[in-house]
Amino acid sequence: MNEDEAFEYVKNTLRKEKITPYHSHELEVVKSVERCINCGLCISHCPVVAAVGVDRFSGPRSIAVELSRSPPEFWSTADVVYLCTGCGTCREVCPKNVDIPEVVNLIRARIFEHRPDLVPKSLHVLREVLTEYYLAFEPWEDKEEKNESRDMRLERLGLPFVQDKILDKAEVLLYPGCQAEERAQEVREAAKVILDHFDVDYTLLDDMSCCGLPSRLMGDHETERVLAKQLKEKVKKLGIKTVVTTCAGCTSSLSDISYRNEWGVPAVHILEFLAEEIGLEKIDSATKGSTEFSDVHVTVHDPCHLIRHTSRQITDFALDILRQLPGVKVTESEANDSCCGGGGLVSYHSDDVAKAVVKENMEAIQKTSADRLVTPCPLCTAQIESNLFKTGSSVEVDDLTVFIAQRLPKKR
Amino acid sequence: MCMSDSEFDVVVIGGGSTGTAVARDCAMRGFRTLLLERDDIASATVGTCAGMISSGLKYRSEPDIMKMCSTEVVHLNRIARHIIMKNPILTPFRDLSDVGSDMEYVESYSEHAEERDVPEMMFLTPEATIAIEPLLHPDVVFSVYYEEFFIDPFRLCLLQALDAKRHGAEIKTYCEVIGFETVNDVIQGVVFYNRITGTTEKIGAKIVVNAAGPWAPKIAGFSGAELELRLNKGAHIILDRRVVNVGISVKALDGRYIYLFPHENTTLLGTTALDTWEDPDSLVASFDEIEYLMRSIETYIPSIRDARIIRTMAGVRPLVADWKVPEGKVTRGYQVIDHENGLISFTGGKLVMCRHMAEAVTDIVSKKLGNDSACTTHEKPLPGNEADVDVEALSAEYGVSMHALERMRARRGTEMTKILELTKDHPEWKTTICTCEPIIEAEIRYAIREEFPQTLNDLRRRLRLGTGPCQGTFCTYKAASILSEELDLQGDDFLVDILDFRAERWKGIRPSMRGEQLAQEELAQGMYSCVGNLDQSDVDYDLKPWEEGV
Amino acid sequence: MDMECDLLVIGGGMAGLVAGTLAAEAGLSTILLRKGQSATAYSSGAIDIIGYLPDASEPFSTPEEGLAAIAGLYPLHPYSIIGYVDGIKPEDVVDEIVGRTRDTITWLKEKLKDTIAPLSGDFKSNIFPITILGTTKPTCLVQKTMYSEDLQTREDSVLLFTGFSGNADFNPSVAAKTYLEDRIAIGEPPRKVGHCTLRVSPFGKPYNVSSVEIARHLDHERSIEDLATQLKPQVEQLGATHVAVPPVLGIKTAMDNKKKLEDQIGAEVFEMLGFPPSVPGLRLQLALEEMYRTNGGKMLVGHEATSYIKTEGRITKVSAKAPRREMNIEAKAFILSTGKYIGGGLSGDENGIRETVFGLMTVTDAYHSAGEIIPSRYTNRIAISPEGHPINSCGLTLDPHFRPINEDGVEWASNLYSAGAVLAGYDYSIEKSGLGVAAVSGFSAAKHAIDFIKEVA
Repeated sequence: MNEDEAFEYVKNTLRKEKITPYHSHELEVVKSVERCINCGLCISHCPVVAAVGVDRFSGPRSIAVELSRSPPEFWSTADVVYLCTGCGTCREVCPKNVDIPEVVNLIRARIFEHRPDLVPKSLHVLREVLTEYYLAFEPWEDKEEKNESRDMRLERLGLPFVQDKILDKAEVLLYPGCQAEERAQEVREAAKVILDHFDVDYTLLDDMSCCGLPSRLMGDHETERVLAKQLKEKVKKLGIKTVVTTCAGCTSSLSDISYRNEWGVPAVHILEFLAEEIGLEKIDSATKGSTEFSDVHVTVHDPCHLIRHTSRQITDFALDILRQLPGVKVTESEANDSCCGGGGLVSYHSDDVAKAVVKENMEAIQKTSADRLVTPCPLCTAQIESNLFKTGSSVEVDDLTVFIAQRLPKKR
Repeated sequence: MCMSDSEFDVVVIGGGSTGTAVARDCAMRGFRTLLLERDDIASATVGTCAGMISSGLKYRSEPDIMKMCSTEVVHLNRIARHIIMKNPILTPFRDLSDVGSDMEYVESYSEHAEERDVPEMMFLTPEATIAIEPLLHPDVVFSVYYEEFFIDPFRLCLLQALDAKRHGAEIKTYCEVIGFETVNDVIQGVVFYNRITGTTEKIGAKIVVNAAGPWAPKIAGFSGAELELRLNKGAHIILDRRVVNVGISVKALDGRYIYLFPHENTTLLGTTALDTWEDPDSLVASFDEIEYLMRSIETYIPSIRDARIIRTMAGVRPLVADWKVPEGKVTRGYQVIDHENGLISFTGGKLVMCRHMAEAVTDIVSKKLGNDSACTTHEKPLPGNEADVDVEALSAEYGVSMHALERMRARRGTEMTKILELTKDHPEWKTTICTCEPIIEAEIRYAIREEFPQTLNDLRRRLRLGTGPCQGTFCTYKAASILSEELDLQGDDFLVDILDFRAERWKGIRPSMRGEQLAQEELAQGMYSCVGNLDQSDVDYDLKPWEEGV
Repeated sequence: MDMECDLLVIGGGMAGLVAGTLAAEAGLSTILLRKGQSATAYSSGAIDIIGYLPDASEPFSTPEEGLAAIAGLYPLHPYSIIGYVDGIKPEDVVDEIVGRTRDTITWLKEKLKDTIAPLSGDFKSNIFPITILGTTKPTCLVQKTMYSEDLQTREDSVLLFTGFSGNADFNPSVAAKTYLEDRIAIGEPPRKVGHCTLRVSPFGKPYNVSSVEIARHLDHERSIEDLATQLKPQVEQLGATHVAVPPVLGIKTAMDNKKKLEDQIGAEVFEMLGFPPSVPGLRLQLALEEMYRTNGGKMLVGHEATSYIKTEGRITKVSAKAPRREMNIEAKAFILSTGKYIGGGLSGDENGIRETVFGLMTVTDAYHSAGEIIPSRYTNRIAISPEGHPINSCGLTLDPHFRPINEDGVEWASNLYSAGAVLAGYDYSIEKSGLGVAAVSGFSAAKHAIDFIKEVA
């Protein structure tokens, strides 16, 4: 056998033995997981364990000391590892900051490669959408209908319509993310309203494509790479200075890929952009005169991808901005930072688990007696809204970007 | 002395890989067989090996031995495949001058490859080598690829013992032979101290097989015979999880070969070779041995110190007494020595040969006792290897996680259904006890009832209990409670069991203590000393051999 | 976005939260950085002050006795540092140490009074609560749910150990046996014990029922009544006066649950000391955080101190890293309370022991440099013994103002203070002094830091 044949033979053997060599960036994750001392603090804090019990989801500790130790056996973790919502609570409470969310992705990638039959079917369906449309949702077939839906939403929310700006060159790229692009269009529109109001030189993509987070979460490295590469090319072509997004998942994901793939451009959430670039004083003076809205009592939900995957400081920005909006009273909920269950693609295949996870939030939200919940993420908004609705709650839910945009005076 | 009138055809001394194999063969050929082990099954030499059932690669100067090794791999893969896994292995080279005459083994390895169902030895480019194992030094110029098989050495010994038992043999652990009854210098009986009952007992024996490993000379001495061994210490470092994708074998600083092998859910780095005259029970890995291994592997895997060392282990090879040659040049063949006084001893040998050694000695026994039944130990499966196991189906049927069952399967094969059946009456026994491995309560109860453990350490050997990164920090208490309940132990004995297990784990943790093992030990101290107050316990705790001294 | 404050506390265990609370209470703007939870969150719920001298076999019956012995024999023990006050008379040193410790404990008890982890016991004497092993250990305070009034003094006491099916964290039959043997040996009550196993299935399965699941379940309405119904016949059958349960009585409602149970079964109920992940540790951590926030402290969770700027002998800024953002925090003074190996304040390998944030000098139990030691050589052959392992006494050494010192024996920075397990000179596991040293050193470091900040301002 010559050397090339030999390599093919060995690769084939590794496949049979279900061994995929760790990539160099994965070695950091593996090293992090080795730090686990089995203390179990994560189990006391994991929202999925709290919701469904340690028998159904054996929890982050089990992922660290048990499930991630032997790659040839990764397939056998398929009954557990897809139930992680990736909220990052474990990593945050861990004295060793063991990177459980990433090792979950690593394991899922191995299952995806070696035992696709054990990957939940709905994730394969999602994959097909992603590979066909480069978006996490099937796009509207009829552009007109899409616009009608958008206009209805804008009307209901009292938001003005700002024309899409697609420029060759701009300071800022507004990246709405798949949810705001195809489903929660009001969030995309609200972001435009805000940027427009503060005269930000921004552009949208002429051809929006997914950041790759869903592919990463299901372990589909190949699609993840394709999507990340596409986006990098688009960003590079535009020559922008900052990417601003309205989605929590996109914030952490874009921060991650922009760093790893050397975009040389930071990616921030619109709240960060408001607090750090626009400044609270400007927002204050802009919203001061706004009288169109009656007083409202809100409570806030902090998206995992912002607070635990990016920085807790973003919550402070949200509260700072909310507290200076006229007529807005904020009451913090006891479960403000507890996962809504919408993460990790869990709701795609185990909706009962996602629902059980969000239950804690539901109860805490009711307890605040707020009439509105705001959250800076369209996915959390959707997850919490549908669950509140099902429980017959009267609490309304708004994406925070929309909530802020509503309180800006209409530009003439 | 408690006299016993039991009379055995064969008494086997030693519960290691050879002793249990002999007991199995003798029992299968219909001899009344007793195995006496002073500690527990697989508690010495075999318990500190890497589990490689070697193709004999290192012994290319002994073609017969390579051939025997290869055939034995085939046999073991037939009788015990449920506890065997294959490791692809790379031997990378950074310097062509390192290769030299070493290439002879390519041919001799490849000669028997086909029967083991592995490819002939192959050469890989540096690019391919790094792609397979990115941790390797970028200066690798080429590598050699081959495949070896690895067995769970504890389970192998235990399964041989259990199989012997199923064929009528008696297995007595914690029974230390202290002498022989002789008439005209011929052995008539064996005298032993039963450490469980605290009594001295005697049984009659027609033939005694001395498979006591490092202690074989001592046993031979009891009969007035002389036996010499070359005892050689080997130490391993155990790393948490599989840090390499494949086995890596490299030339060490002194020109020997050392290896880094993924083993179950750990990685083993070994081994050293030092002639030793120490008490095997008190041996621990030395600082120099640890550094020798680390520095040697570091030349090929520069980042190895980032990996978490969970412990070390040290054991003694009972080599044939060839002197004035390096350890590596001592024959890896074995010798059967008939002392012509009713005692037959072994020297030398390797794990992979244990069945062959048993066959050879049982043939002699048969001849002496006039029995002509043929050896079948290479044909009949060991318990659990009767059929394939469908883990996914069992998981669905019994409601236990797939991973827990996959690990259980690797220990038990088909036997696992007996354990799972227990959970029908006792669903609470589905509770996970050891979180690293993992192990559920039903398997612990089953092992206590069916596999004659006396201590937590015995349970560890049967179940891999407490062998993960936390080294039993969390399962010690839980498993001790179960053991205590099953064996109806006194409260003091329960606490002693905890202290014993911590002591044994500490023996291996201490020499290599660094990194997160410091935090792990702070936690263990926090639990057993700070909360449990066991440092202040007034129970009768006997210091272990390695704890004595300053 | 960068931040500013008077005092920056690095580390959010007992030491850091006590220090931060004291500073916030004194009106300083205080930020606490926490990269993860710490050993405090694993603790059994007991606040040990001092149980034993190293290598001694008799426990101290009072903390005061223990502190006096420490002050006499271990002059560089964190407790002893309290006694180094300018111009103090030698005969007043012990009083100073005892006084500060008493003040801290009194203060802490008061602060935690209305939280989910109120404390019982007082500074006057050590108590000997039962552990899940069936052993007892000396400590000073326990959470109220863990306190038994008269189990070990009442001549006719009968104790029922209660476990839960499918919860391997506690085995009642083994604990009962171990405990009774011990009581018989020392000839003290209770003279009769029993055990039983109850069933609580938060998720409908009788297996893999974790302690925190039981606790959370018992926080829900009606569940404690169901438990009482199961427990009552067992108590009556044995004639139990006391019931020992593992530490699972609830997270938010444990005190109420204890009362409700006692009312319904007619026996005193208490939680034993247990192993991590422990519910009382969780309660204590939450209660301490609440205490800190209520007093006006700000917490930055998920942020790790990664680098610093030091000019003219003073630290001016520390950078804090979140998963995907980084910021600088400017402060007038800093408290380092990052814990030992578990907390991550110290790390060690075959080349020595390091302090992880500032690279401060570390010392061994004998106050030699620990910067280049081989850890295994600072351990004993015996795993569990009253000598402990010297490696667990390594850490920072302080000046009388609780500032870490450098090789020259002077403070490394004029505005850096330190407290808790990162300090050298004590092995909390064998002394039984962990949370006590953490609280008292946190209290002391904060006092000095507050004085410093006020002087500067």
